[in-house]
Amino acid sequence: MADLSVDLGFCRLKNPLIPASGTFGYGEEFVPFMDLDIIGALVLKGIYRNARPGNPPPRLFETPAGLLNSIGLAGPGADELQGVIRRLSATTRTPIIVNVCGQDDAEFAEVAGIFAAMPEVAMLELNISCPNIKRGGACPAQDEKHTYRLVKRVKENIAKPLIVKLSPNAADIVAVARAAQEAGADALSLVNTFLGLAVDLEKRRPVFANTLAGLSGPAIKPLALRLVWEVCRQVRIPVIGMGGITSGKDVLEYILVGASAVQIGTVNFCEPAAAVRILAELEKEMEKLRLNNLNEIKGKLAV
Amino acid sequence: MHDESGRIEETRCLGENYYLLKVFAPQIAREAKPGNFVMLRVSPTWEPLLRRPFGILQSQPPHIWLYFQVKGRGTTLLKDRQAGDRLDILGPLGNAFPELPDQKILLIAGGRGIVPLFHYAKNYAARQPLLLLYGGRGAADLKLLAELDAMPLLEKYIFSEDGSCGEKGPLTEGLEKIVREQRPQATMACGPEAMLAALAGMLRAKKLDNYASLEAVMGCGFGVCHSCAVAAADGRYRKVCADGPVFPLEEIQWPI
Ligand SMILES: Cc1cc2nc3c(=O)[nH]c(=O)nc-3n(C[C@H](O)[C@H](O)[C@H](O)COP(=O)(O)OP(=O)(O)OC[C@H]3O[C@@H](n4cnc5c(N)ncnc54)[C@H](O)[C@@H]3O)c2cc1C
Ligand SMILES: Cc1cc2nc3c(=O)[nH]c(=O)nc-3n(C[C@H](O)[C@H](O)[C@H](O)COP(=O)(O)O)c2cc1C
Ligand code: FES
Repeated sequence: MADLSVDLGFCRLKNPLIPASGTFGYGEEFVPFMDLDIIGALVLKGIYRNARPGNPPPRLFETPAGLLNSIGLAGPGADELQGVIRRLSATTRTPIIVNVCGQDDAEFAEVAGIFAAMPEVAMLELNISCPNIKRGGACPAQDEKHTYRLVKRVKENIAKPLIVKLSPNAADIVAVARAAQEAGADALSLVNTFLGLAVDLEKRRPVFANTLAGLSGPAIKPLALRLVWEVCRQVRIPVIGMGGITSGKDVLEYILVGASAVQIGTVNFCEPAAAVRILAELEKEMEKLRLNNLNEIKGKLAV
Repeated sequence: MHDESGRIEETRCLGENYYLLKVFAPQIAREAKPGNFVMLRVSPTWEPLLRRPFGILQSQPPHIWLYFQVKGRGTTLLKDRQAGDRLDILGPLGNAFPELPDQKILLIAGGRGIVPLFHYAKNYAARQPLLLLYGGRGAADLKLLAELDAMPLLEKYIFSEDGSCGEKGPLTEGLEKIVREQRPQATMACGPEAMLAALAGMLRAKKLDNYASLEAVMGCGFGVCHSCAVAAADGRYRKVCADGPVFPLEEIQWPI
């Protein structure tokens, strides 16, 4: 049987499959559908210092093979999440990744500090790329200077590995990726959702109260794959690729363009046991391609 | 909660865009309670991407029955699925209408809102007094009358807006009189938002236990995506899929 493990430099994962933030709840919701120990790691839903109500409905709009969301990070605050993490770590040995959010740099640093101090947390993912908080979809990951400043500040404060999650909506994502790397990021993850717009013809208004929303799902896969490829060629640190993955083949494609691991998002809504199926497909696909391990294909796209 | 690979056993068109599906889904059938719902993957491809939520009309293990109205892409694909087709079905999801044994209960159904209340009547009509107030735009929306006739309901009140079936007018016109004459202890409602909002207004002053089953756009159906938010009277959001779909009528901020 092929070796599915992957190396992130600061840690090894038993396989490259990681459910993405915001699409896997707090892990425990998926216990009826799978043994959480089978996945490489898992990312919890994004967390701020304080509980947030989220955006007014509607919050979802379906597009061809895609999904626009404007959830606005509804959920509990950092204090409550610590209890959830303790419970979760008692039920699974899979590494837990906390998706850290903030309204400003100080909040990012504070929330990162809180979870970096928890022994149950394996690493942090800095969500500097959520398009659903500020009007117009603005986020730190659109600007390399802001990204550098913020990542440096957070990283100075913590001893845990830090993944920085990038936005596909940056004018120059490679520049932002480099800035995060120079500021001390241990890994990068990309992409967060693409900014999109849905309109209501009858009301002549945007569907969402926040006007813009984030697009995810199979529809974004080629766009995301291209960005992951571009970033992988230009940075030294490991990259976790995502965007529209629904199959074992998709996973291998991301690894072929240079990703060390992948995250699966929207597919978890459509198929709660998606990770189980994708993992089985990945093994079969590797067998078909006669791969003993993922390093044999990682970054081997010939152009 | 099960992610079951079910099988369509029978599909029947009940005229004007209403369909009845009999689905083999033994695990879900065993656990389904009136008010629970399921999420169906209407197509084996990723188009449409999301599952669709449907109530459970009745459950007789190993089968459940669904009753749906064709609305858009998803329900159009669903109506064309054939007996023998595999159907991915997630459920039973959400909470149920409360069991209130011994109480006299008025069930209030608008159009396809009959689904969870049909299930309730099917399970409990033989053991306690149940009244049904059922309305729609016309006879086409009231297709399950024959099946309801076969249930030992205490009384049925039928309304249609075009007068093609039962009394003419919205079902809310019958409410005051029924409550006054029959003195139910509780009401359970499911139907369009406008109907539920009207009921909330009319029932506010009456000392009854009122429950309503809500609909919302659902990305997942099991509490992880936060798409199904509905504003509650306390100013906070509830998740229709996980906190509901059945809520005390007074808990919701009307109109939605
Ligand atoms: C808990 C629950 C139980 C339901 N039970 C039944 C039932 O028993 N019988 C029945 O006929 N219908 C029921 N519905 C409504 C049914 O889910 C929608 O009519 C259906 O999803 C429409 O899908 P579509 O692809 O045909 O329409 P489209 O208009 O193409 O749908 C586009 C999107 O909007 C969403 N959507 C559209 N209308 C509704 C709606 N009214 N409620 C929620 N989401 C909607 C869809 O899920 C989809 O994401 C229920 C809804 C909920 C939430
Ligand atoms: C409903 C929803 C909520 C999300 N919430 C978060 C979040 O809290 N933090 C985050 O970093 N990304 C969030 N994302 C983005 C996903 O983690 C992922 O980057 C994106 O959906 C692309 O992957 P996919 O196409 O596989 O879904 C969310 C996505 C969706 C659809
Ligand atoms: S539908 Fe996903 S949380 Fe309710």
